[in-house]
Amino acid sequence: MHLRVSHITKRFGSAAAVDDVSFDVPKGSFATLLGPSGCGKTTTLRMIAGFYEPDAGDIEIGGRRVNDLPAHRRGTAMVFQDYALFPHMTVYDNVAYGLRVAGRPRPERDKRVNDTLTFVGLGGMGGRWPNQLSGGQQQRVAVARALVIEPQVLLLDEPLSNLDAKLREQLRVELRILQRRLGMTFVYVTHDQDEALSLSDWIAVMNAGKVEQAGTPWEIYYHPRTAFLADFVGAVNLVPARVESVGDGSVTVSFGPHRASVRRPVDVSLSTGQEVRLCMRPESFTIAPAGASANGLALSGTIARRAFLGDTMRYWVKVDDREWIVDQPDPGATETLDGAVLLSLRPERVHVIAES
Amino acid sequence: MRSLRREPALLLALLAVVALVLVFIVYPQVQVVVAPGSGGYASFLEGGTWVTPFVHSLEVMALSTTSAVLLGFVYAYAMVYSDMRWKPFFRLIGILPLLSPPFVVAASYILLFGPRGIITYGVFGQTPIIFGLLGIWGVQTIAFFPFAYQLIADALSRSDARMEQAARNLGAGPWRVFRTVTLPLSRPGLGAAILTTAIYIVEDFGNPQLIGGQFTVLPTQAYNLISGFGEFTSAAAVSTLLLLIALALYLAKIRLDGGRSFVTISGRASSMPRPPVPAVLSWACFSGSLVLAGVILMVYGTLLVSALTVLFPINLAPTARHFTFVVTGSNGDALRNTLVFSSVAALVSAIFALFAGWLVQRGDWPGRRVLDFLLILPAAIPGIFFGIGYLTAFNQPWLDWVDRGALIILSMVFWNIPVGYQAAVAGLRQIDRSIDEAATSLGASRLRGFWDVVRPLLGGSLRVGFVTTFVRAVTTLSVVIFLFTPATTVATIRIYQLVNDLNWGGATAFTVADISMAIAALVIFAALARGRLALGMARG
Repeated sequence: MHLRVSHITKRFGSAAAVDDVSFDVPKGSFATLLGPSGCGKTTTLRMIAGFYEPDAGDIEIGGRRVNDLPAHRRGTAMVFQDYALFPHMTVYDNVAYGLRVAGRPRPERDKRVNDTLTFVGLGGMGGRWPNQLSGGQQQRVAVARALVIEPQVLLLDEPLSNLDAKLREQLRVELRILQRRLGMTFVYVTHDQDEALSLSDWIAVMNAGKVEQAGTPWEIYYHPRTAFLADFVGAVNLVPARVESVGDGSVTVSFGPHRASVRRPVDVSLSTGQEVRLCMRPESFTIAPAGASANGLALSGTIARRAFLGDTMRYWVKVDDREWIVDQPDPGATETLDGAVLLSLRPERVHVIAES
Repeated sequence: MRSLRREPALLLALLAVVALVLVFIVYPQVQVVVAPGSGGYASFLEGGTWVTPFVHSLEVMALSTTSAVLLGFVYAYAMVYSDMRWKPFFRLIGILPLLSPPFVVAASYILLFGPRGIITYGVFGQTPIIFGLLGIWGVQTIAFFPFAYQLIADALSRSDARMEQAARNLGAGPWRVFRTVTLPLSRPGLGAAILTTAIYIVEDFGNPQLIGGQFTVLPTQAYNLISGFGEFTSAAAVSTLLLLIALALYLAKIRLDGGRSFVTISGRASSMPRPPVPAVLSWACFSGSLVLAGVILMVYGTLLVSALTVLFPINLAPTARHFTFVVTGSNGDALRNTLVFSSVAALVSAIFALFAGWLVQRGDWPGRRVLDFLLILPAAIPGIFFGIGYLTAFNQPWLDWVDRGALIILSMVFWNIPVGYQAAVAGLRQIDRSIDEAATSLGASRLRGFWDVVRPLLGGSLRVGFVTTFVRAVTTLSVVIFLFTPATTVATIRIYQLVNDLNWGGATAFTVADISMAIAALVIFAALARGRLALGMARG
């Protein structure tokens, strides 16, 4: 493993900000630590960078334990949320700083700085001052400044959260392309699930100082192991249910008057009679006027509220005393629904969380 | 701490700073405090000679602080709240006393109200006894109300104009807003301003020395014991008593405002204007400020006229002879000494304080709270105590090889450390930690990051530290009065000596020259900082 974090703990006072966290990041992959503020993700990143000292545990980069190396010898460059550009240096000098510290000769420095600036789309802007750049350009400089020293691991601490939504999306795409092209190992910290899902090869969702679940974006989104996770990553319907019988690869559950046979989650033990929760994403449903024919699991209800979100129409549908969130894509293509409706859902879209 | 061990250079730098602080701040003070020994303190307390100056000091402190704060408040309120005319003029006049040794007010007072004063004798034909409590009270009120004004104005202008606008918007009148919003919000700042003024007053040495006569206070008692009787042990005990008072005031002040001891007037314009006050109030403010500014002008104008005339006030023929006197021979040396000592001390002090401020503010090592306290401690140490400390600790036979000028410079450097230190800490608060970390994550050691990135961004703090320290150094009397030798005399010492010799022309010309240096430093600074003014408090 290129970056290995084993059993690290960090306490501030008596509270553990990071509590026995371990994970591995293979070389060249884009890893993301995702979680709400205060979950310990930034603290973890800062321990990797060497800005904080873990109270316990080890950090290895490229097979070498780096706990005893000061921050400037770890080969980790960091991109900060507020860019942290040196305001008294030009763009060129900002980007050249790491090479200058490393004592690289001038011709090499010039070439690498200019190449990197071009690479991030800032060719010819070297003479500008940071305060003459837009937020997006400043963050590109910050990325260039970190990339140019070719760090073993690039650490990014919520680098896009100070930008407006449109730009954020654009830079997100650019970052992903950049990382793929360079094959560099990225560790990215964010509280934004969209960012995490769209950028990462691998996500660790953190909560209260611990890793709740780690895996591919797909696993995290569709097969969350806890209700916290399901709720944190996107909108979700979490419905209490009861295990009726456990089959081979499938499990029969009941909720209210309904009964369904759904996919059995791997590496989770379930027993008959167990209280569980069903996790269903709003976009997994099909919504139709009452009386339409159902496909799979069918639920009859009444529309309580709706919100037009542009790309989707979100309905809150009352089914057996409970409101369900249902998204209908491309709302312009059909009539807006009202009154009694029929929700249908293919059973394999239902995910069981072994937690009541 | 582990992170320090991984960077030996940083650890060494930190140890060097700690060593310097221990040697030049802690050691001399401890020397004074322990000098009398337990037996010494016992007989000192029994002897009872301390009671009179102690009571006097408290009396003077209570009276002068009250009056100085009241006048200062009037001036500050007028400057911050009213929309009276001539504000730039009043601001300039308010700065002037900060650029001069406070004890020259006593000199001016003697010229104006003394037995042969132009007002008492010249106008009314009286020869009153002005020395004693009333004299000190009057002089300190005039000398320190401008300091109180700066501190109070600073506290008042910190209150958010938006809250006052909001209160007015909700229907409260100006007086009600002031009483229910402004005052409660600025109460800690006002309390701190009062305590700081009280420290300046209780530590003041020059004014009571010149005008107190038989009325001794603790600083003059300490001085007289040493210079008159060589009673070093008693002097140490007396000044320790003074230190206790100052320290108590200072600790109370820190509780209120977290340790700011020096006003910095940055000229930052509040983006939102204060709600208007009634025209009558503005006129009252204007009249009050005019009277106070008139008093200041009279005090300094008298010094200027005296410096430019043959024998003030008897012979008012203009002459340059006093200035010729000031720049020639040993007097010229004293002026040059002032300039050289103060410049070097200000530079060293500002740079050292900047680095120490960075170490404390950005450090994560244990004990940095202690170092933080030690670095602001000199702000609570009376100048006279500091001077006696250096005398005790470093005026030793085995240190004879040390240049006496260097000793004076060192005393100025470390007595003024809090100035530069607080400027540095304030500056560092404006710079996000991520700037340091960015340098580190790009491969620079923390020391290198400090040098490449933090230091250039703290130019403003460095300038504030330099100018304020310079001004305090050229205007201090009490710190250097025990340390000078004939070859290392400075301007304030000469002014003090010339007043004692009743050489008024020479003393006032020296004062004008001394203040001119402070003004020149400030003007250069203002030019460098493009109009931003920063002032520190100078003390006797």
